[in-house]
Amino acid sequence: MRAKWLIFVLAAVLLLAVAGCGGAAKDDAIKIGHAVALTGDSSMWGQSEKNALEMEIEKINAKGGVLGKKLQLIAYDTRADATEAVNVTKRLVSQDKVVAIIGPGQSGVAIAMSSVTEPGKVALVATTATNPKVTMDDKTNKVRKYSFRTCFIDPFQGTVAAQFATKDLKAKTAAVIYDVGSDYSAWLGKYFITEFEKQGGKIIANEAFRSGELDYRAILGKVKQSNPDVLFIPTMQKEAALVMKQARDLGITAKFLGGDGWGSPDLITLGGSAVEGAYFVNLASLDDPDIQNFIKEYTAKYKQEPVLPNPVMAVDGLLAVVDAIKKANSTDPVKIAELLEQTKDLPVLTGKLTIDPTTHDPLNKPAVIQEVRGGKFIFKSKFVTQ
Amino acid sequence: MFIQTLITGLAIGGIYALMAVGYSLVFSVLNFSNFAYGSIIMLGAYIGYYSLTQLGLPVPLAVLGSILGAAFLAYLNEKLAYSTLRKRNASSLFFMISAMGTAIFLENLVYATIGSRFYAFPEVLTRDNITIFGTSMGMLDVFAIVFSFIAIYALHYFLQNTKLGIAIRAASYDAQVSQLNGVNINKLVSLVFVLAGALAGISGVFLGMKYMVYPTMGWITNKAYIAAVIGGLGSLPGAVAGGLILGVLETFVSAYVSSVIRDVFSFSLLIVLLLILPAGLFGKYLEEKV
Repeated sequence: MRAKWLIFVLAAVLLLAVAGCGGAAKDDAIKIGHAVALTGDSSMWGQSEKNALEMEIEKINAKGGVLGKKLQLIAYDTRADATEAVNVTKRLVSQDKVVAIIGPGQSGVAIAMSSVTEPGKVALVATTATNPKVTMDDKTNKVRKYSFRTCFIDPFQGTVAAQFATKDLKAKTAAVIYDVGSDYSAWLGKYFITEFEKQGGKIIANEAFRSGELDYRAILGKVKQSNPDVLFIPTMQKEAALVMKQARDLGITAKFLGGDGWGSPDLITLGGSAVEGAYFVNLASLDDPDIQNFIKEYTAKYKQEPVLPNPVMAVDGLLAVVDAIKKANSTDPVKIAELLEQTKDLPVLTGKLTIDPTTHDPLNKPAVIQEVRGGKFIFKSKFVTQ
Repeated sequence: MFIQTLITGLAIGGIYALMAVGYSLVFSVLNFSNFAYGSIIMLGAYIGYYSLTQLGLPVPLAVLGSILGAAFLAYLNEKLAYSTLRKRNASSLFFMISAMGTAIFLENLVYATIGSRFYAFPEVLTRDNITIFGTSMGMLDVFAIVFSFIAIYALHYFLQNTKLGIAIRAASYDAQVSQLNGVNINKLVSLVFVLAGALAGISGVFLGMKYMVYPTMGWITNKAYIAAVIGGLGSLPGAVAGGLILGVLETFVSAYVSSVIRDVFSFSLLIVLLLILPAGLFGKYLEEKV
């Protein structure tokens, strides 16, 4: 069944490729690819990401473009699905001949896409893919030459959450509930535990559930009995909202803490009053003073607020790519990738961007702690790595 | 912790029981497993959600809306997908394939029209909790258990004490003979689907309130189906017992062993039970179970 489907998709892609060749126009624009989830569960961030990039490119083009040429964004839908993403990446690399790719926002998708971008020698700049393996090949333990990102990585996120729990929330004990079917969730939980114990805290319950779970009351019963100060829930917003709702129903009074997977308004609509007072680590916040201009422009243009953090991370990526094109004085993707690696103190939306050449992760990337209060995400504080 | 786990198990089992009764009701008369039932539950949940949020109806009216809406959809489901097969005396395998087709069709219809987003019911009963024997229980759970049992009991009373109920029971023993005795089997089957649909509406609203509303939520009825088989397909008391047993056992496995192997456990239980007691705990012996 699956094989048939794959053949069908391949045939469709081939047909499209053939059709595309006929009309290969000789335009002078510099093409920048965008692999993004425009439909499906992650589409809310994806759409916002695309809007932000189009707005930014319009601004750059109005000022005369780059190297005297206009920039052109070519966005394809990945549906946040690895197979689909590999297909659109092939199209971006071999047919559209883009100079670099912005996106994707999911770690698993980014890792799959690197199987095309590494041999194709085109840089991809992931937006919110936080797993360390996105830029490091864990088989060879070497950095992936053409994979970059503008967000922090999960070990850092787990560290921030654990330090916030012990220092700001004065927590002595913690419980963790994670999704055993998600690498993101399982690893983030582990990074949190390591740092929490290093800070002298004690983990009194560490419970797993299977992806798609609806009822957490059985494992929450155990958490209730151990009565932790903090409950860390490193999952996406849907599971987190259900866990928090059911925990409050059972009378658990622990403070809730989470990671950047929570950063969607869905958390509040699904979790209701149970998520009040919860804290989570995020990449960007609407209240962050550094990005107020961007939010104002975006809201004026699209009549709605950007869905953070993806648009901000994508624009940071675009600015890094534009800077690399200028420095390379060329549109050769290989040269652009080489200069992306040397990005240093580049002013971007979220501050200054420096890429660590040994890991391709940004250095000194600030993390934002947000609190849910009054049905809104409130900016609490900013953490910077050293 | 033991009592807390037991109460949680009963709350989950109560919802399984409600859905299992709907399954068993249809099975008892038509002798096939109506896999489209989960989709009717899902649509019932959407009806409840939209009557609360878009139409702004009060909760009792929204629940009533879901019950009526789901009952009507179940009626349509029977008329469109099963009645022709019934008139041709098709074997139950064809009913089941038609039911699966209906389930996939309805699920994808929701994807195409409403979309894949998750919705949560507005908070009406969810935030309060009461304490029994030193353990907390959400008001919604109490309400769900009480309401489920009232609904199941009302159905039981109807089947035992009314003329139509007796006709349904007669048909569940032998549809052809009851037809010879003057029972209008077409009307009767429609009635059975309307009753099952009404239970689906109640289950849908409770599932939506407790968890959330989304296109694939109907697959939770897999569990209700197991519950119905444990109790004996076609037996209503069996469905209730099966639902409660499954809910409590699952919760104990999650709490004392691991939540990750919970489904491994429930489905193994199903297989073992079918090996030892093919007719379930209360079922009459039948050749075809699936």
